Amino acid sequence: MGGQSRQQQEATAETAQVDALKAGHPSAWRDLLSCYGPSLLNYATRMLGDRGTAEEILQDSLVNIYRTIDRFEGHCSLKSWLYRGVHNRAIDEIRRRKRYVDVGEDGLEKAFDDKGQWKHDCPGWDGFAAKNFDEKRLLTVVGEQMNRLPHAHREVLLMKEVEGLCATEICAALEISPGNPRIRIHRARAALRAAVVGDRL
Amino acid sequence: MIYLKCSKVIDRISDIIDGQASLFVRMRFYGHLMICKNCRRYFNQFKTVHELAGKVSSDDLPPDFDHVMAFVMDEIEKQDEKKDV
Ligand SMILES: [Zn+2]
Repeated sequence: MGGQSRQQQEATAETAQVDALKAGHPSAWRDLLSCYGPSLLNYATRMLGDRGTAEEILQDSLVNIYRTIDRFEGHCSLKSWLYRGVHNRAIDEIRRRKRYVDVGEDGLEKAFDDKGQWKHDCPGWDGFAAKNFDEKRLLTVVGEQMNRLPHAHREVLLMKEVEGLCATEICAALEISPGNPRIRIHRARAALRAAVVGDRL
Repeated sequence: MIYLKCSKVIDRISDIIDGQASLFVRMRFYGHLMICKNCRRYFNQFKTVHELAGKVSSDDLPPDFDHVMAFVMDEIEKQDEKKDV
């Protein structure tokens, strides 16, 4: 008794929650939507770039998640599974509208010579953001630039920085291999820094 | 091998800020920053933007989720009725 770790306790609570969801208890579904719905809507809005479409996509995905909850076998967390459902539906819509922005050549390597030294000085703050911006203004710039990043960077940053998913949850949500998120997260952060600073790197 | 190349320093930044780097790597990393103006500048920008990205929240989105919730719960209840028939 009392020997369960916090992780085990969370896993047990999640199993009970999934059982209630599978049994179709409306209160379980209401709790789930209250807990994750606003974050999922935030995610969909930032991915799609418009709130109206995001709401439609979210409604569709949540109803679909309800229909397919029996297929959830607990290989990942419920949170990852929800993000996966909303993410896949959002990406389908973005591709259908031919709005998907792919990641270009990774510019980071281009900044260095054969010896791994900077070819040029790292630029200071100019472009969209200036060093003398106060934090509030800079925060607005960061949010705006995040919404303009290629989708492959944006999805990772939203999950990691904004919604606070861990690397394992991101892998499960995006269905990528476990070795991949570290590099994906780093490149996405580097792209955001470049966009904010106005660096072409 | 004490000396870290600038390109390797830049590659390691996320490990550093996520607390995933060993003490040895952290020492070499911060040691490099002390002597390299470009990496220091890049790191400061990267870290500032990363910290601000963590503060980008749903603040700028209206929190009204009620109608989405109502729609989904309606659909769920409709489907439940179908199941029961
Ligand atoms: Zn350097």
